[in-house]
Amino acid sequence: MATPAELPDLRTEYPPHAAGRNPAERSILLGLIPGIALLAVVGYAGKFVEHFINTYGKTHHLVLPNIEYVLWAILFGILISNTVGLPRIFRAGVATYEFWLKAGIILLGARFILGDILKLGGISLILVFIAFAFSLTFMTWLGRAFNLGPQLTTLLAVGSSVCGVSAIIATQGAIDADEKDSSTAIAAILALGAISLFTFPLIGHALHMSDRAYGLWAGLAVDNTAEATAAGALYSDAAGKFAVLAKTCRNALIGFVVLAYAIQWARKGLASRAATAQLDNKAAFLWKKFPKFVLGFLFISLLATLGSSANPAIAALGFNKPQLLALGNLSRWAFLLTFAGVGLRTNLKDLFKQGGRPFLVGAVGEIAIAAITLLLVVGADHFFHL
Amino acid sequence: MSTPRTRFSTDAWAIVLSLALALIIRIGVLKAVPW
Repeated sequence: MATPAELPDLRTEYPPHAAGRNPAERSILLGLIPGIALLAVVGYAGKFVEHFINTYGKTHHLVLPNIEYVLWAILFGILISNTVGLPRIFRAGVATYEFWLKAGIILLGARFILGDILKLGGISLILVFIAFAFSLTFMTWLGRAFNLGPQLTTLLAVGSSVCGVSAIIATQGAIDADEKDSSTAIAAILALGAISLFTFPLIGHALHMSDRAYGLWAGLAVDNTAEATAAGALYSDAAGKFAVLAKTCRNALIGFVVLAYAIQWARKGLASRAATAQLDNKAAFLWKKFPKFVLGFLFISLLATLGSSANPAIAALGFNKPQLLALGNLSRWAFLLTFAGVGLRTNLKDLFKQGGRPFLVGAVGEIAIAAITLLLVVGADHFFHL
Repeated sequence: MSTPRTRFSTDAWAIVLSLALALIIRIGVLKAVPW
């Protein structure tokens, strides 16, 4: 079975750069093919099983539970990676799930008009700020109460309030945390993300939440973008869409949070000279940490908005309805590969191996953050009619 | 003399792929994508 130590590439490593003109780079691209094919097979198997169960129920007049392909794809992935393990030949390609996630989010822009993004994005940003202020204070207190080091506490707070693994990696450099602290925080956040995949939809259904409110909640409370997207899509297609929007707003804040930490640690004299030197140009620092794929998402959404204009000259610049449908479906295919990747990189051993105080701090913090964001979303739904 | 090669990030490649697909759909090469 694959151990966590053998699988760092599935958590943090970005896919290798695309093919260039030399044979070495071509072979890197060829090396991705088996893993991408595995993502496609696992994802499509999930879709096939959902369709098969629905058809079987209809033809035999049975009322069978409608389990979304998302859950099947994740479960098949978990089954493979935790039984036979993931052979080395597949790993580089499976690690591209994050690339497919970003491509899926950009293409999802076709399913939003800018007005929606501004309204829900604005509400999301306000809720993110409140939740972030709460989680930061709470996690810092919790970390101290459990005698965790300040670096590990900071990483857990950032991971659970901003955007999971990428926020932890970005903050690690700014506060000079060591590898052990960041891998502990990453493992705790990933394990908790896997748990939220199964608990969030159950809570959402129990509370009869609307697609918008649930999607917003999943986007605000689930840490990693892939898990937040999956947790949303597990509820409904529309909820998945809103979860991505709320999560993208959170992701866009990553640069500001990391910058604030970097300044604070530099002021205390705790940061290294290299980390302090990065702060000379704050605009460059923010741009470096900004998730650029958000720009692609906004651009596609702009073209969708133009296409919906009543003025034919303006509408001609954007996408028409069949084109928007095609782009939305492409986004679904990209997410299908992502969900398979989420399952394939989930290591059940991690859930039990963490065992110690970091996991406990992370778990208590996550539950508190999930509860407070749920209250915030229910309140926002009441006042702003999401 | 070798020239420096531009290295794209995952974000950049995701944008390139998505915009290329959007263009293919926009100009009508691909008219529908089944789901």
